[in-house]
Amino acid sequence: MNAVVLIDTLLLLLVTVSAIAIIEVRSLYSSAMLTGVYSLLMALVWVNMHSMDVAFTEAAVGGGISTILLIGTLVHVGREEKPLKKRLHVPALIFTALTGAALIYGTLDMPRFGDPAAPIHHYRVPEMLAQTVGFVNKTPGKQPAPEGFDAQQYRTFDGRVKDIPADPTDTAWRENSPLRTEGLLIPTVPYQHDAHAEPGHHLHPPDDFNGHVPNSVTSLLAAYRGYDTMFETTVIFTAGVSLILLLRRPRREGYLQKGAPLGDQVILRVVTKMSIPFILIFGFYVITHGELGPGGGFQGGVILATAFILYALIFGRPALYRIVPPPVSDVLTGVGVLVYSGTGAACMLLGGKFLDYAFLNTASPGDGEALGMTLVEYGVGITVSMVMLTIFNQLAEEQSK
Amino acid sequence: MTDVLGIYNYWIYVLLMMIGLYGVIAKPNLIKQAIALGLFQTGIFLYYISMAVIDGGTAPIWTTIEHGAQKFQGPYDNPLPHVLILTAIVVSVSVLAVALALIINIKRQYGTIEADEIEAMDLADKARDYVRGQVVDAADDAETKLEGRHHV
Repeated sequence: MNAVVLIDTLLLLLVTVSAIAIIEVRSLYSSAMLTGVYSLLMALVWVNMHSMDVAFTEAAVGGGISTILLIGTLVHVGREEKPLKKRLHVPALIFTALTGAALIYGTLDMPRFGDPAAPIHHYRVPEMLAQTVGFVNKTPGKQPAPEGFDAQQYRTFDGRVKDIPADPTDTAWRENSPLRTEGLLIPTVPYQHDAHAEPGHHLHPPDDFNGHVPNSVTSLLAAYRGYDTMFETTVIFTAGVSLILLLRRPRREGYLQKGAPLGDQVILRVVTKMSIPFILIFGFYVITHGELGPGGGFQGGVILATAFILYALIFGRPALYRIVPPPVSDVLTGVGVLVYSGTGAACMLLGGKFLDYAFLNTASPGDGEALGMTLVEYGVGITVSMVMLTIFNQLAEEQSK
Repeated sequence: MTDVLGIYNYWIYVLLMMIGLYGVIAKPNLIKQAIALGLFQTGIFLYYISMAVIDGGTAPIWTTIEHGAQKFQGPYDNPLPHVLILTAIVVSVSVLAVALALIINIKRQYGTIEADEIEAMDLADKARDYVRGQVVDAADDAETKLEGRHHV
């Protein structure tokens, strides 16, 4: 048993306990606060499974924004659940027990936790990672395939998995397997020097755009699954528009003159003013460095939004409206989507396909990819932050009616 | 033992999903139901991320560690499930926000957010409409009969 499994076992026990508490506790306020605890525990679980970007998102979204949204709603709809006659809903219990038993029976056929031979690691993923580099398609303007690269072998992964025995319980092969020694998702191609790196720089595998995009999560997000991410940004934009349509009412006269709820608390005021610049800088850092390390537009956008929300909580929404008037935030939600699709259109104008970032800098395709991804991440960041701000404003507006 | 630990994560994912499902069915409070749906979602997230783990793997950020002449690389966890779930989390908060907005509108309309009370009110409305319809029909019938008698 290794450390990952041990920590995982303990954390997941805590997660389960807090999940039951969330459902069973009667006060909705406690329930909302417990979701924050639950999300932070979940973020720890993601870190333990080396999923840094997901942990980042969970901590910012689950621990931060959604708890605030829930509490903002509770102020309006009441904080207590109606007491139930029976504590236990027997038909629901039987139904979920049966469904759960069926699903658990299904998991018996799953590959074991951490098994490198699991099909998910061999079907399509190597191909996707290769495609983000671009030399499988041999698109003009992108780097040529390096010496010794066998596209067919890369595509099917046969050369790398043929020594896996048919018997899944036989694990001795792993010790000698190239999967173990070379890294599972790194192709068997010679490393090459980055033409643009300073002398003595590391040798890079070809997957990382010559060292410009080492975070493979971002390169998959923005390159191979670029369309998908674009439309996910549109989904978030749509959510913002729905909130405006559902809850916005005509402005009353003098809505800017109302006082601040916590403005007389000196300590809160000073601490807030001191921390907001750092939150903003951190948000921009996370967006800008999304292709180098954990982070990106989704996480950075949420962090930017929390800075504005914190300001509104302490100094009141009228003060926030003076900094970011609703018309400005409304327009910016659309601008983010426009930046994303505009980057794609620019690639087309420069001769490539939609979202084919290498064409932004044909002299150094790696630089072009990094530039395109940063632009796209900024588009995502603008939309996410402004939609989160709009959602908060609309839900909070209800309570001060 | 190793076998149990090997699929332990999948059992927890089933457990979280079922806790969420139980909440959606058993709790009439709409806010509770929205939160329970969120639990259901995190169960699925756990399922995806668990599949991405590789024994001895590390975060999928390509780096070469150099120890003297030796170079180490990977193995890395599978980045694809991470990408899927990272966007799914942000979409889930958007879904929660729209749900909360609808709940606020329901509260405005019905004055309650308990699903069974809303159902009862709808049912009462329907019954009231039905009875009202019956009365109007009866009145119409009486009127036509009266008119018929008049003409004769």
